Amino acid sequence: MKLPKRTVSDEVPTSSMADITFLLIIFFMVTNTFAATRGLDFAVPKEDKSTQTIEKQESVLLAVHPGGRFEADGRAIELDKILDYLRPKLERDPLKPVIIRPDPDASYGDMVRVFDVLRQGKDKGVEVRNISIPTQREIEQFWY
Amino acid sequence: MRLKARQKPNAVVPTASMADIVFLLIIFFVLTFNVDVDKAQVVLPKTGLRFEVPKKSAVISVTEAGQIRVSSGEETSTTVSGYEDVLAFAAEQVARDAEKAFILKADARVPYQTIDRILDSLKQARASTIYLLSDQETVEGAG
Repeated sequence: MKLPKRTVSDEVPTSSMADITFLLIIFFMVTNTFAATRGLDFAVPKEDKSTQTIEKQESVLLAVHPGGRFEADGRAIELDKILDYLRPKLERDPLKPVIIRPDPDASYGDMVRVFDVLRQGKDKGVEVRNISIPTQREIEQFWY
Repeated sequence: MRLKARQKPNAVVPTASMADIVFLLIIFFVLTFNVDVDKAQVVLPKTGLRFEVPKKSAVISVTEAGQIRVSSGEETSTTVSGYEDVLAFAAEQVARDAEKAFILKADARVPYQTIDRILDSLKQARASTIYLLSDQETVEGAG
């Protein structure tokens, strides 16, 4: 008796490929977060008690008040005028410390705005090399 | 005259390129894949200058309500009860890796005194670099 010859398909079955890849896409889309992974870097100075204390008069004090009001050395100033105010001072002394001192009730966002303006100074020809954001404890410990 | 038989359009949808397209999409998602270790919903401050933060940095998040969460960057963040816990967390991270970077993911509306206490804890723990997480500032009128 002659048996019928069984033929094996030489094609790779790819019909389920699209289903699998779509499942993978759905997984990545759901679990992926285009998280904000960018920000302003802030190098923390090492606490060194032997460091020479800077006289308040030698630095520029930028105060941040609640409601988005800013002061430079005690005088009210607009955010976009800060670099113009600093320009002559930094031309005389490029290492002049600029201290940001936010009010405890000021918003964090306003403090970041000032810090951002100072950091952007380099691109606008006013490089602020010495930015300091002392904490309340440091102010109480070293300023008084 | 005998008319030509009408050509029947092929009823099959061509799907041969489907796999290529989805593979390209998969490659895109694999490359941009980023599991967020902290799911806290915050309105980040906007800055014009932004730098890429190092991967696996420790995260400290502060919501508008003042809830503080911490994560070493490798596991999901957990809520801490006070600034002492932030200091203990930061000290532990710095003890493991002295160059560990910290990301401060804080809501822009949070009063500065909260941030001051956290920055102070990080300074006391001798953290070397802190990244203040921010959103891109848009040009006025454009966004």
